[in-house]
Amino acid sequence: MRIRELLIIFSAFALLAVSCHKTPEQPETKTGKLSFSFKHRVDGQPLQFDTMMYVNAAGNHYLVNEIQYFISDVTLHKSDGDSVLLDKWEDIHYVDTDIESTWTYVLKDDIKAGTYHSISFTFGINEQKNQSLIFVNPPESLMFWPELLGGGYHYMKLNGKWLDTLNHISPFNFHLGIGQIYYSFPDSISRYVQNYFKVSLPNSGFEMQAGETKNFTIVMNVENWFQNPNVFDFNYRGGDIMQKQDAMHAACENGWDVFTLEKKK
Amino acid sequence: MIVKIVNALQIFSFRNNAVGIIFKQVTVFGLLALFTFSSCNKQPREEPYKPTPYHIEIPFGFPNKLNIPKDNPMTVEGIALGRYLYYDGRLSGRTDPDSLMTCATCHLQERSFEAGIDNPRFPGGHPHGITGIPTPHVMLPHINLVWNFTGYLWDGAVYPDNPDENMRNIEDIVRLGVTSKHELDGDTARTAALFQSIPGYPELFKKAFGSDKVTFKNIGRAIAQFVRTLISANSKFDKYMRGEVQLSQSELHGYVLFTSEEGGDCFHCHGGFGNPLFTTNLFYNNGKDTAFTDPLDHYSVTHDPMDIGAYKATTLRNIEVQGPYMHDGRYETLEQVIDFYSHHVVRSPSISPLMHHVITGGIQLTPPEKEDLLNFIKALRDDDFMTNPDFAKPEKFPDER
Repeated sequence: MRIRELLIIFSAFALLAVSCHKTPEQPETKTGKLSFSFKHRVDGQPLQFDTMMYVNAAGNHYLVNEIQYFISDVTLHKSDGDSVLLDKWEDIHYVDTDIESTWTYVLKDDIKAGTYHSISFTFGINEQKNQSLIFVNPPESLMFWPELLGGGYHYMKLNGKWLDTLNHISPFNFHLGIGQIYYSFPDSISRYVQNYFKVSLPNSGFEMQAGETKNFTIVMNVENWFQNPNVFDFNYRGGDIMQKQDAMHAACENGWDVFTLEKKK
Repeated sequence: MIVKIVNALQIFSFRNNAVGIIFKQVTVFGLLALFTFSSCNKQPREEPYKPTPYHIEIPFGFPNKLNIPKDNPMTVEGIALGRYLYYDGRLSGRTDPDSLMTCATCHLQERSFEAGIDNPRFPGGHPHGITGIPTPHVMLPHINLVWNFTGYLWDGAVYPDNPDENMRNIEDIVRLGVTSKHELDGDTARTAALFQSIPGYPELFKKAFGSDKVTFKNIGRAIAQFVRTLISANSKFDKYMRGEVQLSQSELHGYVLFTSEEGGDCFHCHGGFGNPLFTTNLFYNNGKDTAFTDPLDHYSVTHDPMDIGAYKATTLRNIEVQGPYMHDGRYETLEQVIDFYSHHVVRSPSISPLMHHVITGGIQLTPPEKEDLLNFIKALRDDDFMTNPDFAKPEKFPDER
């Protein structure tokens, strides 16, 4: 009788121990990683800084000194209309032509293996995320957009110089961010305008294999900021546009074809 | 005495037999050994090197990344030592009353750790070294330097990833200050030897760095630690940011001008709500001149032609007491500075693109706008910083206790 009891107890423990090991099998890794490199070109050639060698659609001779900007909301789209927003709140990436470490953006989220029809992102930062003091450290914090002008952060600072009608080399600050509509300029603002916009990268479909890392290059074609559909003339617009919503609106309308994707390095 | 103890032990059980004799020998040996060990232990106990970590509290809106080198962590003991050294004129390596000079000789707390334009020793706020040689530029304040990652001094010659490992941080600036002809004109070995000989200091070095041997490296580390505690974050504008006070109408209008591109357009280089350091810590040619001859501009560091005539954008915190202004001290008052930015900005090939108002010669502020802008800038004055007893000269130096 005693032996029988012991056997029952032993069997129960053995069963328990075996059942503890019956965890479901780990699913096979079926994801890959995605990263972007950033390059900047004018008329198809690598951007050369601080040289008055470019001519825009308005005929302005200009040079570029530096470009700093945010992209966010990187989203992968499938042909069935489904889409995947990557990295959620952590997806605001800063690019600075003077800081090499910003020229690469490795997305944190794993990407499910499969076929993706296209890639899109937000140029700048959307209204929900673009809140003051979300960045406290330079260089991102240096992009702050004054509270009075709408707060948050510059979407972009494209700084350079152009040859004006008097043949003077004059500085321009092609800065984009939240716009203002004024009752009476410059003291009374009636409302703010969110100028961020969605960029759908052409020819950006890809196939992600399990365990693979895809490295794509996002190219900013700088000359396109100044053309199509709006010819941007520095002699007409002047050197600053942060408080000129019509100019920022025209620039953002031009932004649709500024970025392209390259799948080969 | 040991033999007496052994004899007493023998009484118990081993008297007058062979085993007892062996026991006696072993016991004597054992007790001798015990005595030897116990006398070793009677040396005064070494206090273990355990400095107290010092944590910088991040003020509202300030960056949380701090420029603190890994080999010089902040400690209470290091900061205390650094404070003594910062104020002790013997940092010059000399003891003659006429030859004393240290950081605080020029960096006065009541002038936001600058000389100040009303300094009796340095007329017009133009400092000179111990031998009378003027400094190449006027001074920069010791204020919020722990947030500077992009380059110290007007030209930015000292920066964290400098290939020259002796030109990377505040520790190196201490060495430059002691050895430069236009500053202390001293010798690092002589300064270290002098502090080694001053009663009280070796003990403080031991507490701060684990050794009472005074080295100049540790002198630099201690002063750098103290300088990193010099944080200003309690001006009227800080209180406004924290929702504690309201700015006056004039200050508010000045703030609008400060942070609008069509107004003063100050914020791109000098910060604001989103950058409460009130500097980018970057370098700009701000349109003061058409040609440049100063060999110590930012170009001297980068060799980038776009940096010709470029200098550090100073923080505007406490700028009210930090005259004279610009790297060469050409303006005595803030009114003159605002006039310059309003009407006298001039072109040059390397002028910063951010100075786009050069197209009209400046920001063209009206007299009432200038007054409002000035009032806002004065709201960046932090009197708590300039009277904080933790930053002040110690009542007594270690050898005066």
